Parts: sequence; C-alpha cells; structure tokens
Amino acid sequence: MQRSSWLGLAFLSPALVVVLLFFLIPVVLTGFFAFTNMSTATGVKGGAYVLNTSGLRALADAGLPKSTLEQIEGAGYRVDAKGLEALAADFGQPVADEFASLHDGEVFSKRRDVERALKDLRSNPIRKTRDRKIAADLFKRSLLNERFDTLPGFEAALEEAGIPDADRPLITQVAYTGWVWTTENFGFLMSLDSTWQYAKNTIIYVVFTLSFNVLFGLFLAIATFYLPSGQAATFRAIWFLPRILPPVLYIVMWRWFTWDTGFISTVLSGFGVSPRNWMLDTELHAWTTIVLINGFVGASMGMIVFSSAIRAIPSSMLYASEVDGASRLQQIWHIILPQLRWPILFITSYQTMSLLTSFEYIYLATDGGPGGATEVWALAAFHTALNNYGGNLQYGLGATYALLLVIIGLAASLAYLRLFNFRNLIQKPRIEG
Amino acid sequence: MQSNFRNWPVLLVLFVFSAPLLIMLTFLLVDAFTTKVPGTMIPNGLTFHHFRFLWTDLDDGSWGIWGVTLNTFNFALFTSLSVSAISLTAGYALSRLAFPARGFFLGSLIVLHAFPTVTLIIAIFLILQLLGLYNTLIGVIVVKAALELPFGIWVMKGFYDTVPWEIEMAGVQDGASRFTVWWQLVLPQVQPGLMAILIFSFLSGWSEFILPMVLAPGTEAQVLSTYLATMLLDGGTQADFNLFKAVGLFYALPVIIIYLVFQNKLMNIYGGGTKG
Repeated sequence: MQRSSWLGLAFLSPALVVVLLFFLIPVVLTGFFAFTNMSTATGVKGGAYVLNTSGLRALADAGLPKSTLEQIEGAGYRVDAKGLEALAADFGQPVADEFASLHDGEVFSKRRDVERALKDLRSNPIRKTRDRKIAADLFKRSLLNERFDTLPGFEAALEEAGIPDADRPLITQVAYTGWVWTTENFGFLMSLDSTWQYAKNTIIYVVFTLSFNVLFGLFLAIATFYLPSGQAATFRAIWFLPRILPPVLYIVMWRWFTWDTGFISTVLSGFGVSPRNWMLDTELHAWTTIVLINGFVGASMGMIVFSSAIRAIPSSMLYASEVDGASRLQQIWHIILPQLRWPILFITSYQTMSLLTSFEYIYLATDGGPGGATEVWALAAFHTALNNYGGNLQYGLGATYALLLVIIGLAASLAYLRLFNFRNLIQKPRIEG
Repeated sequence: MQSNFRNWPVLLVLFVFSAPLLIMLTFLLVDAFTTKVPGTMIPNGLTFHHFRFLWTDLDDGSWGIWGVTLNTFNFALFTSLSVSAISLTAGYALSRLAFPARGFFLGSLIVLHAFPTVTLIIAIFLILQLLGLYNTLIGVIVVKAALELPFGIWVMKGFYDTVPWEIEMAGVQDGASRFTVWWQLVLPQVQPGLMAILIFSFLSGWSEFILPMVLAPGTEAQVLSTYLATMLLDGGTQADFNLFKAVGLFYALPVIIIYLVFQNKLMNIYGGGTKG
C-alpha cells in the first residue's frame, strides 16, 4: 500500500470508531434486543437465580410433579455454619460444638434423622422432643428465596436437593432473573389492538403533516419568489424561526397558545366560549395542533429547498412566458412546478422518513394524548422502552417496535444512495490516482 | 415581474397562516417582561419577576440555573469541537486521499447521513448503561457528537471538494508531505466550512432535547432543554407560562444572537435539512 493509503485510513479512523460504536452496533443491537425479554426487572447485564413463591406457582402451573415442588421447598437439612450459629444461640455453645464435630457438613434428607443425631449427642441438654424438632428446623434448607449468582452454584444446589434431572431445565429457566432470548415479542405486539392503533395514528400523522409541509412549503416558496424582496425576506425570516428555535421553547409557545388560560381561550372568551385546553380537549384538536406544530417546522425546510430551486430557473424562460401572455397561474403550473419535480420528490421522501421516526414534538406537546389518540409508532417505542408511568421499562418490547423503524430507515437510506449521482461522488483522487 | 399580478391576496393568505407564529413570538417577548390583567391579553406593567429564576432558587430540585447553563454550554461546545475535529480529517480523507474501499466509505456516509438516528435511541441507551456512561454529560456528548458526525463529514467533504487541486499539487511538487500539504495549504482554504460546522453543531447541541432526557435524566447532567421541559411537563394545571417564557428566552438567547449574526449562512445549511 502506498503511504497515502495509510494517511487516508488514519484520517478516517476516528470517524470509523465513532460510527461503529454508535451506528452499526446500535443497529445490530436493536435487532438483538427485539429478540429478548429485557426490561427493568431483568436488568441489562444478566441476572441471578432465585426461586420465589410466584416462581413456584409458575412451576406448578407448568405441570411439575408435586414431589419435586416439595423437594424445592424442603431441600433437606444441612449442618452448616449458619445453622450451627443458630443452634449455639438457642441451646448453648457446647451442644453446637459437639454437633459440629460429629456432623459438620452432613446433609440429612429427613427431619427425623436430624432429631436422632441430636438425641445421640453425649451432652444431651435437649430433652423434649418438641425442642429437638425446633432445633432440627434450624438446619432446614430450602431452595425457596435462596439467591444464587451463578448457574453452577444453582445447579449444585439442585443436585444436593435431589431434584430429578428431567425437571431441572424448567426450574432453572423459571428461577433465572436475567433476560433471555425469545421470539414472543413479535406475536405479542401483533396481538395488541394498540399496536394497530399506533400504526393508524402514524399514517394519519405522516399523511397530513407531509401534505401540509409540501403544499405550504411550495406556497411559501412561490409566494416569496413573486413578492417584493423586502416582504419576501420578512416572511422567510418569520418562517425560518420555528426551525431555529429550540424545540422545547417552540412547544412552550404552542402550549401557551392553546392552554385554557392561553391565547385562543382568552380571545374566544370575549365571544362567550368557555375556556378550555384547545390542544387536548378533543382528538380532532389534538391532531390539528400536532400537524400544525410539525408542519410549521417542516414547511420552512420545503420553503428553503424550493426557493433555491425556483431561483435556479433561467429568468429568460419566465420573461418569455410573460411576453407570450401567460398569467401567473399558468407560469407556475407550466414552468415552475415542472422544474420542482425533483425537489418535491426529495422533500417528500426525506420528510416521510423523519416524520415516521421523530417523536420529540408530540412527546412535548400532547405526549400521545388525549387517551392515546396521538400516540404514533415512534412515540410508542419510546414509551415502552424508555419512559412509562408503570416504571417497568420493557427494552426488548420497545426494541421490537423500533426495529421496524430501523429497517424502514435502512431501506430508505439505501434507496437514497441509488438516487444520488454516486459516480460523480467517487471521482478518483488526482495526486495518487 | 410584477405587472400582471396583484400582491394583496397572496399577502393576506401568508399573513393568516403566519398569524399564529407572529402572535406566539410577540407574546413570548411581551409576556416575559410584563404583568397582565388576568383574563386579558393586555399588559399593564413592566416586571422582571418572571426572570427570578436567575437570582433565586425555584426549589424545583434542579441545581440552579447557572449550573444548568454551564452544562448546556459544555455540552454544546464539546459536541461541536469533537464533530469539527473528526469531520476535518475524515472529510479530507474522503475528498482527496486514495485508500482501499473509498467508494464503500463514501456510500456509507450517504446512507448514514440519511438514516434516522432517533430510532437507535433504545440501543444507545443500553450501550451507555453497559459502558457505565449512562447519566453522565460525557456520555451524552459522545452520542450527540457521533450522531452529528455524518452531517459534519458531509459538509466538510463538500468544502474540501471545492479546493483547487493545483494548490496541493504545487505543495507536493515542492516536496511537502501529504500531511503538511493538508495542514498548511488546504486547511486555510476550508475555514468557512469549519466555521459552519462549529456553529451548526453548537446550535444543534444547544437545542438538543431527546438525548439528554433519555441518556442523562439525573440532576447533575441537566441541560437547559431538559430544565425547561421538566418545568413545562410537571407544571400540571398551575402552569406559569410567564416563567416558562422567561426561561425560554434566556435559553434561546445564544441561538437568536447566532442566528442574527450568521443568518444567511445558516439558511443554506438548514436547506440540507436535519429536522423534520
């Protein structure tokens, strides 16, 4: 390789590392996470093995034999430090010491055996049978609510408790608190009515906002093209502001505008209309506001792109049409619009993409309300995985929602590559050739 | 071209549609500095009471507006510096240097540029948790810089493309290494591009909301966007919009100043479009 190859790769490497970490890996991981049941409850880094009562119930429902269940609950009697300590506390150190010297580390499967061992102690201060029963119970070890950090530890415990081999995989599976691979997310989402509602909401959102963006962007571009330059510049500046202002401030203004003490309410109360929250009182109002909020930002992008495309039209064409007696509308229809075909296609495809995936404005404005009426797909993914009232964030399920968007995004971006004049881009460097 | 055309119907339509924006912007300024008779829109007195968050503690659990502002500044500044530094080298490599699989990298750049990065937020959230960068400002800076990067490289490559080859060829002819040529001859030519990326990514970082909210929800890494959003969303029915607007104005001040200074340049960059 030439030396400049190394320089090129060295120059590119910081970007490659960043792209790998925060684009490629996340894309792949979204795919992986979609096949897990990862959530706040399971954690991200893996888990431990715990059998609790609800786990036991699940095992019973799964048809585990009753004998095995009992074995889990009463996994035998083990003479260990913990039990000996308790024995010393209740019945004196000498008893515990002697019992330890005879039976330390031993495991008894029945309580009667423990009682007999206790009875056989030379210093025999536990006279009453009832006391011996209590003493024996100090050594009772159950798998229930016992926490094992590793799989071998848990398996060893199952082995000691004498649980049949056939039942172990199921028990291990139930006891595991970490996340596991699963394909159930997809079926589960398909079975939810709300999923279809999100899809419907997304279509409404994209279709209406996009129409507003493109049509109004066109109107703005054409209007400011014909207006005297002073007026045109003023309107361009006004319409550019929503794009430049921080989104949170932009939504503050909209919320004030529609609030029950805000502009619309105050003005209309002069006409006897009772004050209300004009953004959230009905679904229609919520949708109107959402479309306008996004549309006012989106239209400015259309305006900028279309304006520069119109300015690129040779003015001789426009003059010629005027000499031939074309009206303004004819001029727009026959000369300007045909020239804008590609910019319109670009804006349409670009904004479809960004509308499908963005949820920032909706989250800040309605947060999907009222009653989930404006909950779009991207917002649902965000709510499921990162921000819900229940507190149990379901990363796996959220990633399943997001996966669809990632796939659409990848497909669209690849399509974008084909639309580009790529050959022009990869002109060979001229020094090394 | 004004002869066969009457302006006023168009102006009227434009005005009607611009009215909400004009009203919102006007009252953003008016309400932040005035008091009003309740139930009307008419101001009846000047006040700086709405800006009290600058000198008193609002008792809202945040660690004070100045700490939050410093965070926001650091976030925007370091994002902007990292994006510029990496774009400066990567853009040059893609524009001028010959190396294996260059076409592939260029294609990937376009794909990345078009790709809607917000869909990756769940995976990035989990990655930051695994890396231990969750809930830190550094974590958000790294992610924001990464997501801005394709745009930065794209713009920078465009600027490098306009530099005449003759400059570099002359440098190489005189015995300079490719690195020296880049450092001493080409970099001065692309300063406008560097400025553009610095400004643009600074603004973008300053305005960013989703990333800090998801990746650093704690108090210590709070930035102005999450500060204002928390106020706005937790306000309940007793929302004090005058306060929100004052905070908002304070928050947007650098953006507005930069916008006024660099208006024309910014319009061209935003034409490429990164917002819906």
